[in-house]
Amino acid sequence: MVSWQTRTANLLGRLTIRQALKRELSVTDMRKQILRMERFFPDVADDIHIDTELRLTHCDAEWLTPASGPTERVILHLPGGAFMTRFQRAERFFLARLCRAAHARGRLVFYRLAPEDPYPAGLDDCLEAYQQILDSGVAPEHLFISGISAGGCLALALLLKLRDRRIPLPAGALLMSPAADFTDGPEEGSRVDNARLDAVLSLENGDQIRRLYLGERTELITHPYVSPVLGDYAGLPPMFFQVSNSEILLDDSRCCVERARAVGVPAEIEIWDRMPHGWQALSFTPESGRAINRLADFIREHCP
Amino acid sequence: MTSKAATGNQASAAAFMQRLRHDHAGLSRMLRAIDGMVDRLATQPGALQPVLVEAFAYLLHYQHGYHHPREDRLFERIRGKQPALADILARLAEEHRAGQGEAARLAEDLAAATPDQLRGKKGERVVTRIQRYLRHARLHMRNEEAVFYARAEKILNRADWAEIVDDDGFQDPLADMDALAEEYPELAAHFDLPARYLGQSRKRIGVSRMARHQILELTDLYGGLMHEGFDLTRRNANRLLAVRGPLDLLRAATSITSDSLRFVGQCVARPSRWAINTGSDLLLARIKPAQHE
Repeated sequence: MVSWQTRTANLLGRLTIRQALKRELSVTDMRKQILRMERFFPDVADDIHIDTELRLTHCDAEWLTPASGPTERVILHLPGGAFMTRFQRAERFFLARLCRAAHARGRLVFYRLAPEDPYPAGLDDCLEAYQQILDSGVAPEHLFISGISAGGCLALALLLKLRDRRIPLPAGALLMSPAADFTDGPEEGSRVDNARLDAVLSLENGDQIRRLYLGERTELITHPYVSPVLGDYAGLPPMFFQVSNSEILLDDSRCCVERARAVGVPAEIEIWDRMPHGWQALSFTPESGRAINRLADFIREHCP
Repeated sequence: MTSKAATGNQASAAAFMQRLRHDHAGLSRMLRAIDGMVDRLATQPGALQPVLVEAFAYLLHYQHGYHHPREDRLFERIRGKQPALADILARLAEEHRAGQGEAARLAEDLAAATPDQLRGKKGERVVTRIQRYLRHARLHMRNEEAVFYARAEKILNRADWAEIVDDDGFQDPLADMDALAEEYPELAAHFDLPARYLGQSRKRIGVSRMARHQILELTDLYGGLMHEGFDLTRRNANRLLAVRGPLDLLRAATSITSDSLRFVGQCVARPSRWAINTGSDLLLARIKPAQHE
């Protein structure tokens, strides 16, 4: 049963973010709108210490440490936001809750955004963040990569890049509705079936997003680092997908799981009923707490 | 004790703690599995009841039967070293006992209920109890992990570990899926599923797919109009608010363009096609009534 809080979030998402994506808003206007919406997300509680000292070469990053004795576990979290913007407060609050539930430290990376810094700038920042964590002495078997939406895409791309470069892989990956297919996509499936049902996303301006993210290099849309759904998943660590049955991105997760399982990678998918895109970060809904508990369970299972 | 023996002792302490952590990994996996099923128990009791019965059998047999006694031995030694923690330790031990009792009652009720009973009020009560059990089990596990697991290896000495480490030789059945399939076939089949579905606990109320789509389209339509309204207001509000006198009013009026009055792609000051057509029809009817008719 979908809670009334989530139903409200569905309606608000439909009236705000979905409308903004359907209309030809400039990136600046979209960022302004998101800043206004961000005021409704709470600040992280005092039991989580936030350290902004250790930056990356080209972008900001934060360490989140729970006061209640974190274990060796570390979560590298990559925020979503269509590669052009981000819900900074919401993502920070989400990561704080996940760190608390999993007794882990969190690394939140504010990778460079398009159109100012098109692909591969954001992915390079994520790779640098991962390498920095390893260099600080964290064992890869204690490390998890997580990401929502565009962050999920970057998380998958990062896994592929790490594997290709023979850098030690993390213990697992948490992928929440990753936007893993940057091609025009099939003419059937969730992108068509859920076009009306999706409470947040609309692909009417998909071309614009592609153009802004890739700059002039639109031929890269089939590259696995851009569309990880097309990648070879052999050798990747366990992956845990959460997605909603009403999202246009449902098939992205399904296809990734199929490809991963086909080459023997343990990949799980949870398909939630009628959740809005990125519901894990909507702290006022009970389903968000449940999803976070399940993500923490997965972390504990793969890093005891 | 020789250094070799001391090293061996440290190794067995580390192995013991590692086993406790692996037990928690298995417990987390089982709690996630139960949590994923419980809200659909009332709608699919036939399929889920056997899996849940096996899940609680596993919890009772391994987690309450082997894992908690291991922890109790550990906590007992920590209590001797750090009396300040006695209250918390007593609470955790009590939670072990209470959890075991509740798991046993749930296992019994689940096994005894018919699918029809699980569809009704009894099923709802069982679901609520299972959810409460899950909440307590997760919280309990986190508290143990945060308070004791990190400290144990620091504060206990080799004599303590000699008392604690007692290899009962029993491994978590979840560590070996083949062994699990023999003992708990329904659970093993559940873990092998490629996808899990969460939610959908009740049948949807009789709104057809088409009606649902129409409602969503209307919401989109009115959402779009609302945004157009906001944009129109935003484009003109600053200019109107700046009016302080006749000169400002004149300036504001002359700066209005069809672009600043655009609403849904059309200038609001321009009469609509309907208004033009109706107006011209009325005019024609007045000028040439007979001809127009």
